[in-house]
Amino acid sequence: NSTTVLQGWLGILFCSIHGMLGSVLDCEVGGVHCTMSIEMLLDRAIQHAELIYRISEETRTQFKETFIPLALVTQQGHADHLCTVILPTPSSKSEVGQISDKWLLHSVLILVQFWINHLVDLQASLDHYDNTPQDLLDKTKWVSSKLMSLEKGLLTLIRKMLNENNLPLDNSKSIADHLASPRTMEHVMRDYTMLSCFRKDAHKIETFLKLFKCRQTDWPGCSFY
Amino acid sequence: MATCLTLLLLGALGLLTATGHRTGPASELLTPDPPTQPHFTGCRSREQETFRCWWSVGSFTNLSEPGALAVFFQMTNTLYAGWRECPEYTASVQNECYFNKTYTHIWTSYRVQLRDTAYNITYDERCFTVENIVHPDPPVALNWTLLNVSRSGLNFDILVRWAPPPSADVQMGWMSLKYEVQYRPRNGTRWEKMDLESGTQLSIYGLNTDKEYEVRVRCTMSAFENFGEFSDSVFVQVAQIPSKESMFPVMLLLVFGGVGLLLLLLLIILSQQERLLVILLPPVPAPKIKGIDPELLKKGKMEQLDSLLRSQNVCKPHSAPKDPWVEFIQLDMEDVVEKSETSDTQHLLGLTHLGSSHALSLKGDDDSGRASCYDPDMGAEPESIPPVREVHSPVVARSSFSTHIHSTTTTPEAAGMHIPVQMQPSSQSWINMDFYAQVSDVTPGGGVLLSPGQQSSTPSKNTDMKKKKEDREEDVAEEEEEEGKLQLLVVDSDGGYSSETVARQQAADAASSRVAEQAYHTLSEPPQPHPQAWQGGYLAPDRQPHMPYFSPEAPLASVLPPVSDYTVVQEVGGSHHLLLHSAAPQASVCPPHPLKLPPGEPALPLGYLTPEFLENLSP
Repeated sequence: NSTTVLQGWLGILFCSIHGMLGSVLDCEVGGVHCTMSIEMLLDRAIQHAELIYRISEETRTQFKETFIPLALVTQQGHADHLCTVILPTPSSKSEVGQISDKWLLHSVLILVQFWINHLVDLQASLDHYDNTPQDLLDKTKWVSSKLMSLEKGLLTLIRKMLNENNLPLDNSKSIADHLASPRTMEHVMRDYTMLSCFRKDAHKIETFLKLFKCRQTDWPGCSFY
Repeated sequence: MATCLTLLLLGALGLLTATGHRTGPASELLTPDPPTQPHFTGCRSREQETFRCWWSVGSFTNLSEPGALAVFFQMTNTLYAGWRECPEYTASVQNECYFNKTYTHIWTSYRVQLRDTAYNITYDERCFTVENIVHPDPPVALNWTLLNVSRSGLNFDILVRWAPPPSADVQMGWMSLKYEVQYRPRNGTRWEKMDLESGTQLSIYGLNTDKEYEVRVRCTMSAFENFGEFSDSVFVQVAQIPSKESMFPVMLLLVFGGVGLLLLLLLIILSQQERLLVILLPPVPAPKIKGIDPELLKKGKMEQLDSLLRSQNVCKPHSAPKDPWVEFIQLDMEDVVEKSETSDTQHLLGLTHLGSSHALSLKGDDDSGRASCYDPDMGAEPESIPPVREVHSPVVARSSFSTHIHSTTTTPEAAGMHIPVQMQPSSQSWINMDFYAQVSDVTPGGGVLLSPGQQSSTPSKNTDMKKKKEDREEDVAEEEEEEGKLQLLVVDSDGGYSSETVARQQAADAASSRVAEQAYHTLSEPPQPHPQAWQGGYLAPDRQPHMPYFSPEAPLASVLPPVSDYTVVQEVGGSHHLLLHSAAPQASVCPPHPLKLPPGEPALPLGYLTPEFLENLSP
């Protein structure tokens, strides 16, 4: 259900932007012209992020169950502590409350762009396995497509809400730089680690977008300015 | 980071070797065996903003005093990479380390160690990220409302509602919670688990009214595996409605009874289908007229039927008259005109058709099925004289006897002086017959010599007749009378010449146009049934050259003695019947057809011939 719902939103998210009039955006759903507000777009982006995060978690779990021997499973089951920092992000609620809207959206955009690039590597790596479940591959592909649509939405949001036309540069790093893992690690662990890191970053994206939305509502609990 | 990984591997090795040497995070998996060393018992966060860690001394009781053991932690992705000691040891709770908001960073790997500060021994270590150790508080304000109760009263549905834990900042989006509802019967042991719910309400269907249920709910972070504690249970029970339940079987019985009755009715209808159809939709009798082929009664054959009916109509009145001797000959000018196209014979037929409808009285005999009008029964009945009807214009009767009996209708002056001639039966057999019988000669004995008429030979006559018919005027009728109308010539057989003389005289007298009238006048005298009486009736031939003496103008001398076919008109009966010589049937008539004597006829007086006879006589 969530997949279909997200696919339905995908069409909406592919907005063709005409003019800068107000907060109404032109979009196209299956050849039918439509309009949506900025708030609606933000909601769509948040829903995208939620789904991406959920699917990333499922992917990681499935990978772990399929490839990781029980003996190597850690207590926590997560290896995201091995992830390098892509960019410094606020890590506490108080810190998050102190950063600006601009920073929030930009951070999310950077993260999204980073993982769009690196998921390709992950998919290539997964194809090398002998017994990779098709479902796993489909999920990774699906997540990549959703990330791309989310990126487009974010660009629109940045343009509309921050009034910026300069897009941040996509300075993605190679996967090797990202993971400070010993070379003795097997490919499996490396992929698992990558999935864990991706999941963590997806959670970041979802949280930042929600916080950004909360700030639009002028609710006092959202901002600590 | 690398050290953390190494520790993981060591832990795995430890599991494999099962030496019981508990080091690292795998220690929790093993059942605690004495002696145990100090270790962490757990680290948890309730709202993703703070977290706590607890440890246990184990069997090392000498380290239970506070301060003997210390917790050090390290965050991997912060600028400060060093080890730091627990920011706060909870005073109220033993062996608990509390990390407040300042020290709590999500998306950050934590590494905590349990150390003996005195001897710098690390007893336990853990790696984790805060979001992975979040166990939300239980939801609050759990309640339920009744949705509906089934018709049978056995089941009901409820709607369960709750509120997120107050500690979780759901509104900001800091935590995305999913809820799980469980319920079970009061005395049951197994909990029914519902699917994860994103909202704060859920419907439960299909609960039994005779049971009391217990419902509880718990929550977790979305896409995380750690559930919080369960909320307090609420108890659900619905009172039964006995009236509905007792009504149910009665309703069921009624329904089944009704269905059964319907089936029975259907069976009856199906089995008695034919009978019912007869009762409900009685068959309509097909049209039927006695004596007429039903085929003719079918649609589209009106013309034939019409002609048939007409013929029978003619038959009917013909059978009606009680007096078979009476003949009505009536001519309707309109009808004459209409049938101007046809031949004289046809005209006569047509006229008789129409004339009969006016003049003839229908007898009570409605048997229209008789094909022939000349039923023997008909002639046997003596009937009253059919009414005489005045006709404005002369009607040329279709005389059966081979003579044109042209009865000139009475002019207004001569009322009742006409001789109505009864219509002849219009059986089809007559149509083609030639009715014209010319009086070829008058015998010296007064007999009338008739010869079978020829239609072709009387074109002029016909044209005259036709002309008259076309005029449609009484005057025309009179002209007809003048020119070549037929006249009855009643000649006495005995009185031959005398009658002839009288006829001559009368003819002479009747040189004027009123000859006919005179003739009729003569005829109108009270009929005296003596055969010797001669009455001035003229029997005019239908052919002018052949009626030398029959027409008023024609000299009587030209009459030739009869050869074969002639009838001797003896007298005119009381009711203006023609009394013809009895010899006629034998010799004078001499038609190709044998004379038909109506059976049952009383002894035919000599010379008393009915027109029917004559009809039959004519060829």
